[in-house]
Amino acid sequence: MASETQKTSSGTMTWGTIPPNVPSLLRDLPILLAALALFYAILSMTHYWLSPVGPPMEIHLEPSALPRYAMFSVLRIAAAYVVSLAFTLVYGYVAAYNTRAEKFMVPLLDTLQSIPVLSFLPAVMVAMVGLFPTKQLGVELGSILLIFTGQVWNMTFSFYSSLKSIPPEMREVAEIYRWSWWQRFTQMELPYSIIGLVWNSMMSVAGGWFFLMACEMFTLGDRDLRLPGLGSYLQTAANVGNTRAIWWGMAVMIGIIVVIDQLVWRPVIAWAEKFKFEQVESTDAPTSPVLDLLRSSRILPYFSRLTVRPAREFLSLHFAQRHAAVGAGRVSRGIYHWLTRLMLAALLAGICYESVKMVMLLTHLTRDELRSIFLGAGATFLRVAFTLFLAGLWTIPVGILIGLKPKLSAIAQPIAQVAASVPATALFPIILLVLIRAGGGLGIGSIMLLLLGTQWYILFNVIAGAIAIPTDLKEVCSVFRFGRTERWRELLLPGIFPFLITGFVTASGGAWNASIVAEYFKFRGHTYLTTGLGAVISNATDTGNTRVLLAATILMAAMVVTINRLVWRRLYQLASTRFRLEN
Amino acid sequence: MNNQETQKLRNLLKQRQWGPAIELLRKTDPSSAADFFLSEPYDEQRALFHAMPMDMAASLIVHLPYYHAYVLLHSLPSQEMRAVVEAMTPGERNHFLDALPEEAWQCLMDELAEAGTGAPYCAVTDTDAGAATTEFAPPVVDTEPIIQARQIEKSYQQPDGRQIQVIAPVDFSVEPNTIIALLGPSGSGKSTLLRILSGLAAPSAGEVLWHGQPMHGCRPNVAIVFQSFALFPWLTVLENVEAPLLARGITHFERHRKALRALASVGLHGFESAYPKELSGGMKQRVGFARALAVEPEILFMDEPFSALDVLTAENLRGELLELWLAKKVPTKSIFIVTHNIEEAVLLADRIIVLGRNPAKIRADFRVPLQHPRDRKSAAFVLYVDYIYKVMTQPQLELAPPSKTEHKEKAAAQMLPHSRPGGIGGLLELLDDRGGEEDMYHIAEELLLEIDDLLPILDAATLLGFATVHEGDVRITEKGRAFAQADIPTRKILFREAVLAHVSLLQQIQSALEKKTNHTMPVEFFRDLLDERFAQVEVEHQIETALNWGRYAELFTYDAEDDTVHLHQPDHRGDNSPESASLH
Repeated sequence: MASETQKTSSGTMTWGTIPPNVPSLLRDLPILLAALALFYAILSMTHYWLSPVGPPMEIHLEPSALPRYAMFSVLRIAAAYVVSLAFTLVYGYVAAYNTRAEKFMVPLLDTLQSIPVLSFLPAVMVAMVGLFPTKQLGVELGSILLIFTGQVWNMTFSFYSSLKSIPPEMREVAEIYRWSWWQRFTQMELPYSIIGLVWNSMMSVAGGWFFLMACEMFTLGDRDLRLPGLGSYLQTAANVGNTRAIWWGMAVMIGIIVVIDQLVWRPVIAWAEKFKFEQVESTDAPTSPVLDLLRSSRILPYFSRLTVRPAREFLSLHFAQRHAAVGAGRVSRGIYHWLTRLMLAALLAGICYESVKMVMLLTHLTRDELRSIFLGAGATFLRVAFTLFLAGLWTIPVGILIGLKPKLSAIAQPIAQVAASVPATALFPIILLVLIRAGGGLGIGSIMLLLLGTQWYILFNVIAGAIAIPTDLKEVCSVFRFGRTERWRELLLPGIFPFLITGFVTASGGAWNASIVAEYFKFRGHTYLTTGLGAVISNATDTGNTRVLLAATILMAAMVVTINRLVWRRLYQLASTRFRLEN
Repeated sequence: MNNQETQKLRNLLKQRQWGPAIELLRKTDPSSAADFFLSEPYDEQRALFHAMPMDMAASLIVHLPYYHAYVLLHSLPSQEMRAVVEAMTPGERNHFLDALPEEAWQCLMDELAEAGTGAPYCAVTDTDAGAATTEFAPPVVDTEPIIQARQIEKSYQQPDGRQIQVIAPVDFSVEPNTIIALLGPSGSGKSTLLRILSGLAAPSAGEVLWHGQPMHGCRPNVAIVFQSFALFPWLTVLENVEAPLLARGITHFERHRKALRALASVGLHGFESAYPKELSGGMKQRVGFARALAVEPEILFMDEPFSALDVLTAENLRGELLELWLAKKVPTKSIFIVTHNIEEAVLLADRIIVLGRNPAKIRADFRVPLQHPRDRKSAAFVLYVDYIYKVMTQPQLELAPPSKTEHKEKAAAQMLPHSRPGGIGGLLELLDDRGGEEDMYHIAEELLLEIDDLLPILDAATLLGFATVHEGDVRITEKGRAFAQADIPTRKILFREAVLAHVSLLQQIQSALEKKTNHTMPVEFFRDLLDERFAQVEVEHQIETALNWGRYAELFTYDAEDDTVHLHQPDHRGDNSPESASLH
């Protein structure tokens, strides 16, 4: 305990962005206000949830309605995130430790990851609305679950692979000192995986914003469902062509994203620095003024002393004692064993039944439908490939230029980060507006949208790769007077190759998923669409054509998984063997 | 000697009736008398030895291992020591003196010469007989072993279902009040053995008893200090030390007190709230010690605890550990340390176990009765170090290069030591400079190499017929001398000849490449061949070494992209030689 207070007090002194003479109450005021605001938000959200289902909700386009909508959207994404986190922890844990379950859980995750968000829509909605037919809660839960399906997979993957890569000595420490399940989780597994979780959480939440418009307003067969939120506001504004409302909505969205970045992600990243698995302190650790504020607060440690710490102590001791008791006399697990087997058998039967039904449904596909699906798949494939090509064309030179000049990267990186955090979907109405005026159609528009959504991954990775090129190799180039082409061919391009591949893998996955919103758009009461698998899926969702939705989804998942296996994984292998810069 | 007699002798010794015991010993034949003698605690050995008449002491001592005989001799006053040596027959005396390494031999000679005039100066600490009688430690009562391993072995299953044995059936026990060092070359299964004894891993067969109970099921109170420290970077020093205590359900206040005490005992007072990454390597390992000591383990296991530290820090930490142990400030009954550093083992351990490899089996198990603190420069210390070198170089003699008439299977089981041609050349040059013969111990010291790094180079040199090892001495051969003095192209030719004469794997690769019309083979083919004999990691090592040697010898080229080897074409060689000549 002594050490704890010592730590916080020394924190104040070294970080010192907050003057020490500011009275404590003033310093804690923001924290108190934030807590109250959160409380109010949850209260009004529950009130609305429990209200009965009425006719399709009117979405007001006055700017004054925006704060409320924004709050709803933020809470929705937050709720989806909490669910994602819970799912991640459970699924990742089971997959990492149960060798039998691991064999099918990991491939399943891989497949689920490649299924686009909207394909989940009908199933999720029907289930949720069926669960709460009289309350708004049903639709709301459906929307949250939809956002969840877009967020969860990469987080789960990250957690799973972190658990698998915990160093064996650490596990041996836990084993030899007989740590309880709880202690292992809180002192080893969670801390070890937290950095990966934080970065993936950021990506997931960004994905949530990207698909917000699709997740808040949709038609399900003949039902027109919409939820009050920023996404539906933007969608409605685009539908009626209200440019002013679009600008307002976009401004608010970007504002919220920037604020969340500063208030949540920066502090969390700076805090997670302490979990970095390194033996030597890094020189330039990320910092955050908000984290400084929290650390210098007096209320929070007091609060933690009253609640968190006793709870932690109690739980740790409780699980330690239980662990000791269990270890002494192993309980026979015969019954559990049978129960799990029974459940597995039931699950297997269910899967078989559903597969048969699915195949039967697929046999009903007409020739035209099949043709449109395959044509769409080809078109989307070409579109994604072209987008990646375009993205690579400008990001590689620019990224290398930025990465090689430290001064430039100090300026450019924050700008690029803000630019990247703006969801491309929000910009889409404006882009479309310009294109329609200029006489272009959705063909170009969809590529631009895909580009906007995916180029950042490549850019960031190229910058990181260029920064990581060792100075001595650059000096070799100067010493031997390499020409420009030689320099690029022999050093720069091979040097960034592993990073470039990482960027392309992420971008490719993102582009396939984004094709759903990019190829099909409702604007000024008119539905713009272009040939593509995404358009097929969106259209099938709108018209409630289950068999086309199913077939197109399967095809898309199959294509994504195949491309990953055949192209990206091989390039990855190459990157990690031949193009690795070893020190 | 039968059981009855042994029992009778033991009883006599217990009652300290040296006279009747000596009478009884005199009747038994000398070699079994020596066996019995060695099986007794060192303090009793010494007392008995001192009570013996000179002639009997002389005839007994030549049947003991020379290092033990040397230490025992030095427990006598110098006059008596001289008398015992003189009581040996000339043949026995020569045999005994021959076995001693140079330092010990020189020291003994000086002592014998000066026996009449002054006190011996060679530092075996208990040379003074007056002190020796008072020094007797009280007979140890508690000698019940804490851990007993019975016929434990470990084998791994290959993916194709074959078993690869890494530890051959081993028996041994860990008794209280000793520091046991487990020595062995890298990859000899030391760490695996440590993990089996500590209960972390289960043996494939046999059983481990903890105070007579099967280890499985009871919860042994042990701790491990790791080579890599294995601290949790997100926990403060204090939290790291507290973590095992928390796991035992110890409440906050008590936990804090114990952790602080453990930290203070290793000199980390004031660092409680630091994070591990703020500390130096030595400090980190101190935290590792504190964490292990905090739980007051019965046995403290250490897995190469000083290997990751620089020489000075390691020496300092070793000294402090020993100080804590000798002052009985460590709450443990025994320490079990795994190491590949021979001097470290002799410096710390009361008992040393040397493991051989493939599969691991005990090659030597002996006590080191030198008193602490031990002087690295003393003759007795050098004696033990030298002896261990001898033991460790022994198994490689069994790996003599296969002659052409030998059975094919045996030839295929040959194992390439993981070394590079450059290292072999360096060793041979050193040997050549030293007149062609040198003590292993001196070479290791000269090159600042650990036995782990030196042994593979030495093995390679002997395998290729460039050097021979005899009783810890390395001697360069004619071919070796030629290699050491040659320029680079000639070296390659000599290396190629040696490799083709002695290395079966490279012979196989060479003949396979020559038979193929396109002179190309996938490496996978040879990997499959090796798979039947080695574990997977070892196969990779073998392939890597073979490729390395083969490329140096210009037998073939290797294409990493397709993972194929290609016969080296003479015209290629023509291209290369001016280049290498110009390098020279």
